[in-house]
Parts: sequence; structure tokens; C-alpha cells
Amino acid sequence: MNHGYALFAPILADTSEWTREVFGNIPPAAKAAFYAIAAAALACFAYGVYRRARLWRIGQPSDGSKSFVKSTLAALPELLFQSRLRQNRVPGRTLATSAHLLLFSGFVVLTIGTALIAVEHVLAGMLGRDANDAVFHKGVYYAVFEITLDAFGLVFLTGCGLLAFRRWRMPGSIAQRSLDWGVLAALLMIGLSGYATEGARIIREQTVRPEFSFVGLAVARSLQTAGIDQAGAVTLHFVLWWLHAALALGLIAAAPYTRLLHVIAGAKNLASAHRPLGTMDLISMEQVEETGLVGVGQIEHFTRRQLLQLDACVSCGRCQDVCPAHEAGKPLSPRDVVQDVRGVMNLHGTSELPELVGGVVSHETLWSCTTCSACVDVCPLGVSPLDLITDMRRFAIGEGALRGPAAAALQKTQRSGNPWGLPPQERFAWADGLGVPTVAENPQFDVLYWVGCAAAYDRRVRKIARSVVRLLQIAEVNFAVLGPEERCTGESARRMGEEFLFQEVAAANVEVLGAAGVKKILTHCPHCLNSFRSDYPQMGGRYEVVHHSEFLAELIAEGRLKIDAEARKKLAPGKVTYHDPCYLARVQNVTAAPRDVLQQTLGGDGELVEMPRHGRATACCGAGGGRMWFDDTPDQRIGVGRIEEVLATGAKTVAVACPFCLTMVSDGVAASESDVAVRDIAELLIEVIDAKP
Amino acid sequence: MKILVPTKRVPDTDQRIRVAADGLSIDTSMLPFVVNPFDAIALEEAVRISEESSQPVEVVAVGVGGDEYEEQLRTALAMGAERALLVETDRPVDPWNVARLLVKVVERESPNLIIMGKQAVDDDANQAGQFLAALLDWPQATFASKVELVEGGLRVDRETDAGIETVRVSLPAVVTTDLRLNEPRYASLPSIMRAKKKTIERLSCEELGLTIEPRIEIVAMEGTSSDRQCERVDSVDELIDRLRNVAEVI
Repeated sequence: MNHGYALFAPILADTSEWTREVFGNIPPAAKAAFYAIAAAALACFAYGVYRRARLWRIGQPSDGSKSFVKSTLAALPELLFQSRLRQNRVPGRTLATSAHLLLFSGFVVLTIGTALIAVEHVLAGMLGRDANDAVFHKGVYYAVFEITLDAFGLVFLTGCGLLAFRRWRMPGSIAQRSLDWGVLAALLMIGLSGYATEGARIIREQTVRPEFSFVGLAVARSLQTAGIDQAGAVTLHFVLWWLHAALALGLIAAAPYTRLLHVIAGAKNLASAHRPLGTMDLISMEQVEETGLVGVGQIEHFTRRQLLQLDACVSCGRCQDVCPAHEAGKPLSPRDVVQDVRGVMNLHGTSELPELVGGVVSHETLWSCTTCSACVDVCPLGVSPLDLITDMRRFAIGEGALRGPAAAALQKTQRSGNPWGLPPQERFAWADGLGVPTVAENPQFDVLYWVGCAAAYDRRVRKIARSVVRLLQIAEVNFAVLGPEERCTGESARRMGEEFLFQEVAAANVEVLGAAGVKKILTHCPHCLNSFRSDYPQMGGRYEVVHHSEFLAELIAEGRLKIDAEARKKLAPGKVTYHDPCYLARVQNVTAAPRDVLQQTLGGDGELVEMPRHGRATACCGAGGGRMWFDDTPDQRIGVGRIEEVLATGAKTVAVACPFCLTMVSDGVAASESDVAVRDIAELLIEVIDAKP
Repeated sequence: MKILVPTKRVPDTDQRIRVAADGLSIDTSMLPFVVNPFDAIALEEAVRISEESSQPVEVVAVGVGGDEYEEQLRTALAMGAERALLVETDRPVDPWNVARLLVKVVERESPNLIIMGKQAVDDDANQAGQFLAALLDWPQATFASKVELVEGGLRVDRETDAGIETVRVSLPAVVTTDLRLNEPRYASLPSIMRAKKKTIERLSCEELGLTIEPRIEIVAMEGTSSDRQCERVDSVDELIDRLRNVAEVI
């Protein structure tokens, strides 16, 4: 075989004869039948989409009236290159992701190819060309076209095959419905029948340069070996062509009634504006006074966007794989929440509409969520199970469905401005003896250090604030604190669904911060950080907000904090691992700064080892979304798996950068009877800082 | 059916309580007040009975005090009480007089059941419920940890020092609640807002035809010192040693 010749053949040879007949072997009557069936299939498709769109429209109008065409065009690269699917890696999903990419790219190329054939056919008809006199489907174009389509057919079939293999071998990890098998089988059959049709066409038509259609040619050779001659190929081609056409048109017609609906709903969802992680919709008091309802108690209280997302979900289960509550055995699967709510949407208009909150989605399910946002972050189709949960929490809490310690934490926040309910007058006790200036004492401050409730009242967490303050003093940062005037940001209350408690405390904080002329806020708490960045602008509070990891890394880089090599040796931390807080790493995308601070702290005397789940893919400690205030026995705690991961690193110290993580990881480590030290990055840093001016 | 739930407004138990300058009362400046936690349990139980009953059940919350009591009665309404009554007085009322006032309220309201906390966490008297039952000559089931409506009355589990005692009482009756009866629901801000539409009826002692005759006089109030020092010891043996030889308590 001369590969060199084959490669250059298109350039060397006379290309004018390279073409094939479009709609060859299809008599006019059959062609007419084909068009009629195609029209019916498209009508069926359109009705299917309309049927769903009508359901989406029972929801509340979503904000953001971006033009559909514009936003879809803007999202096109993301959609075509499947960015979200490729970027959000979930362990154990590599095969599925690759298979989907193969199937999708094959599908797109084959669809474009088919569309080009249709254009050729219509043009030829308009120009009154003969069947063998192609308009543009000839020459080098034809060669590239046939080679590309045959290659992508293989890509497509490989994707289908891998998905079928996965479905067969790993039945537990994915939803199993016979309809899903049907869709996959139809896709496979379309691919195979396409090649078979091509093979029969090559024999029948004696196509010139059949090697461009290299798979089709191989099929043709096999058919010939099996005894199919040119005459026999005529009938065979006709039958195969119809099989291929019927399957393809049938699948188009069926698409909106199967999970293929995700192509439309998912694309439409991804094309709409994404809400950044960590943000929530503001509810106005007027709205509630008008309707008497808060949050979502019935399917039509969701937004249209949310209902659209229900149809975008294909039940792939990535969200369930990364859900910390699910991992801990809590009755929460984000996938099931989406699918169960979708089930309610499907019953809309019937008389048997089940109760949504406390019925189809149980209160236990709603309260199990830590709002860690991992489910939203991994969803390839941009579905947010978290938004469904927080919206239903708002309703549940308005109905008085919360009890116990978590309810007490909200009451205490309302009464005393902190979830511990401790006296507001004692909020500043953490700073005793440190000479920390309040905004009244140092009104010309550059940075406001926001301490947060945990560091103000929890004796262990106080050490973080005391370390940060000493670092600020050493670096001669011109800072101040609010002291007793500070109160809870309301972050936890908001994520628990108590929107108006959040608004009450946030409004009070905005006023105090405004009166003090605060422009820049420093905080060691990722929850306060996210609340100031994502929640407070909605309440009219706009500040530059930095996490202490970012701030400290900067102070070290500027040389305002100097590392003492001797102290480093004394610290002798050995192996250290770092636990990324969800609200810092995933929600606020801060992963480098805390590692930077740790590297500087450890120098050559310690080793930073990463856990399998780190950075944006971190695993929740279990305290977010108000879970901090729920009483769980140690074995039921969300985050048990994370503690095992911490211990498996063999690290002597686990560094954290969040007061809630500090508490949860400390408790988890203690419950495991391990002596791993749990320290905030600031607590480690202060030990190696040269305090001399 | 009508359930009356008498409540008391007490200082938030999370706060540091200080004696006022007069040495006779507590310093209430900057002190948040709450519905007595045992009364919140009583309210929750009444609302639970009302939610679970096939018959209409009206829950009426009662408070004795001044204007400042409104906040706590709003909370009671937000938790699910239909109406609230405020018996207006301008001075603290002892348990005996509370019981006498409540008798008058009972005469006006004729409830089938009274559920109230076994005691208020401020003075821990544990008397009002018993006085009330005695004055009304109704059966009482105190320290309830389980309440069931049964044919002809209530079946109540009582928490006693010796264990759980199960009693049956006929209605009308007085039930006082213990800690483990239930977990009160959270009165969210939306529910408090909705509760604003419900009415709080005000009654004066004159309207009830009663003059308060105090039986108790507070002669002095003293704070306890709470500057405890905490220390972590390394082993149980060390703890025993310290308790025996340093603290000399064992």
C-alpha cells in the first residue's frame, strides 16, 4: 500500500469527477413520502418542545431579559465545545465525559454534513441540475466531506458504544429507564445503518474514488464478499436508506419526549445568564405582604428558568456523586430533588398534584443541604439543585417547619445578633489585652477587620482573630474593628431560608458600616466574605472585601511580614494538608492564596500534601447552609468522609481557612481519636513571623 | 375545642443577668426577653393538637404584663395561636395572683384545656399551674412529656424523679409541660408578619374584677459570682487527684 500516494492523491489527480448522486436510488414517490414523514417528524418535535415550554411558562418570570438569539450565539462556543462538561471533572466520570464528547462531536458533524447535503439538494433543484451534476458537492470539497463524515461516524459510534458499555457494566451509578436504552440503541442504529447505506450505495452507484468513504467502502467490500452484486445492492440500498431515514426522523420526533430534551432545555439554560455561585435572589417584603407567601411551596412558584432546568437534567448523577450530604448518608440527593420536582411539574394541571415541600421533597432532605454548591458547580447543564432547595427552605421556614437547635440559632441571631445568642456587649471580649482599635478610636482606618460571630464568641476560634490582629499589628496595617457594634452578617440565616432575618441584620450592618465610612473589609471567614461580596450589594452595601488568606499573602509578598527561619524550624510541622473551605475555594474561587501563605509558613521545613479532593473540588466539612447549628451524632455528621481523607494523608497538621471548618474538622478529628492538629493558616503563620520591627 | 396557653415573658436565658442598683430586681437594660421556654413548649403542644385534630381547635395565648409584652404575644401568634390576651398590670405578679387572674380569664373564655409551662425560667417557682388547677377545681397533669387526646379526656406521661408516670385526666384540665414534650417551632419573620393581622385583646384587672394582693415580697436579690476558671487535665487520674487534693471536693 502506498500511503504517500493516497495522501497526495486529491492534489495530484483530476478532481472534477469526484462526486456522488444525492438522493440516488430514491424514486420521486419515495422522496415525496420522505418529505412528508420529515415534516411530520418536525411537527412532532415542535409539539413536544411546545408541550414542555408551556410547562416552563407556569413559573414566575425570570429576570434578565437578554435576547435569546444573542445569548445563544454568545454561548455557542461553550455549547459546541462542551466546556462545562470538560471543565468540571468528577472522579469516576472520565469515561462518561469522554463518551459524551465523542457522541456529541460525531452527532454535530454528521448533522452539519446532512444539512449540507440538504442545501446541495435544494440548490441543485433550484438550478435545475441533473442528479449527477452537483452544485458544490464535488471535487476536493467532496473528498474532505466524505472523509470527515466517515471519520466522525466512527467517533459517534465509539461514543455510543462506550455509553452502552457503561450503562451495561455500571448500572448502579446511572438512572436506568428502558426509554434511555431505546434512545441509545436508536443512535447506535442510526450510525450503523448510515454506514450500511453508504456501503450499498458504493456497490450500486459504483461511486468514483469510494476510498474517501473509507468505512463505507469496507462495508461495501464485506457486502460483496457476502454475495451482494450491483443489482442486489439496489434493493438493499433502498431498504437501508429507508431504515436510516426512518430511525433518524423517528428520533427527531421522539427527542422532546425523551432525555434528549436536555439538548434543547440544557442549551437554552446554558445560554441564559449564569448566576454566580454563592448568590441568591432577594425577596422584597412588599412581594410577601402581597402574596402572603415566601419562597416556593408550589411548583408554579419556581421561576421559569428553574422549571427549564428541571428538563435540562438528564439524571447523570454527577451532583449526587459530589454531594457531601449524600456521601454522609443523609436523605438528600440533588439529582433526586431535581427529578422529584420535575415529577411534580409533569403533574401540573392534573387533579393529583402532590404536596411539594414536606411531601415530594421532605423537610429532612431540605435541611440536609450544606449549600456547599458542589452540585451546581459540577452540573454540565448548569442546573442548580441548590436554588431549588434554598427556595423551598424559604417556604418551609415561613411555615414554621424548623425546630430544635437550628431554630434556636435563628432566634438567637434575631435576639442577640449572633447565632450563639451570647450577649452583644461581650462581642469584643476576644480582643482583650491586644489593643485593638475600634472605628471610633481609629476613624482614619484603611481596612476594617470583620471578626464574625465565631471568632467573637467561640473560645477556640478567637485564636484566629487574635493571630490575624497580631499579624496586622506587625505589618503595621492601619485597621479598626466594629467591636460591640458588629453583628452576624445573616449569611447562615439567609441560606437556611430565613430571608427576612438576613435582611434585618444586613440592613443594620450596612448602616453601621456606612456610618464608619468602611470601604475595604478584611475577614477570615469565607461565609462572611461571600455574604459581603454576593449578598450585601443587594442590600446597598458595596465594599472591597478580602479574605485573610489573600491579604496575608500580599503582606508577605510586600515584605511587610517577614518569616523567621529559626521559628520555622521550631514550628516543625512535618506533613501539612490544607482543607479548602467551600465558600472560599469553590464559591469565591480563592485557592492559591492560602497555599501561598502555607508554603511561606512551612518553607523547607514542612511539606504541603494535597488531599484527593482539593481546590474547587473540595469536600464540605458539613457546617455550611446552617448545618453548623444542627445536632448530629459524630457518625451521622456530614463531612465524616472528609475527615477520613484528612487522616489518610498522614499529615500531622491540617490547615484550614474558615472558622466553621476549624470547628467541624476539629470535632471530626477528635471523634476519630486522632491527634492531628487543626489550625487556621493565620495561627500557623504568626508562629513563624519575625515580630521585631 | 379551645385551648388556653398562659405564658410568661422572661429574660433570655443566654444573657448574663445582673442585679439592678436597687438590689431588689434585675437590670433589664439591654436585656432581650423571650417567651418562657416551657410556655413555648406549651404553645407548640397546643398548636400541634390543633393541627392534628379533625375538629376545629382554637388556641388562645395569654400574657400578664405591660405593653412590652406585645413582642412575646406576637411570637405566640406567629407560632400558631389564633388570638392573644394581655392582662395589663404594671408590676410583677406572683404565681398566686397570676393563678387568680387566670381564673377570671378562664371564666370569660371557658376553655376545655389549659396548657402552660411547668415553671418560668426566671423565678423557677413552679406554682401557677397547680394553683390554677386548685382554684378552678380541675384535674391537673403536671410535668407532661407526652400528651394524647383520648376518649373522655387526656392521657399524659408525667416526668417524675422515679420515672414516667402515665395518668388519665378528664377535661377540662390543666397540663403543665416539661422539657421533653416537644421541640417548639421557629417563629420566622414571615410568620410574625402574618401574625400582625391577628388581634391582641387587652384586659385590665378592673375589667376582670380583681385586685392583686401580693403574697410575696422580694426583700433582696444577689448575683452569684461566675468567674469560673477552666483547665484541661491530661488524664482521669489527674482529674481525680485534682478534685481530691486541690479542690478537696471528693
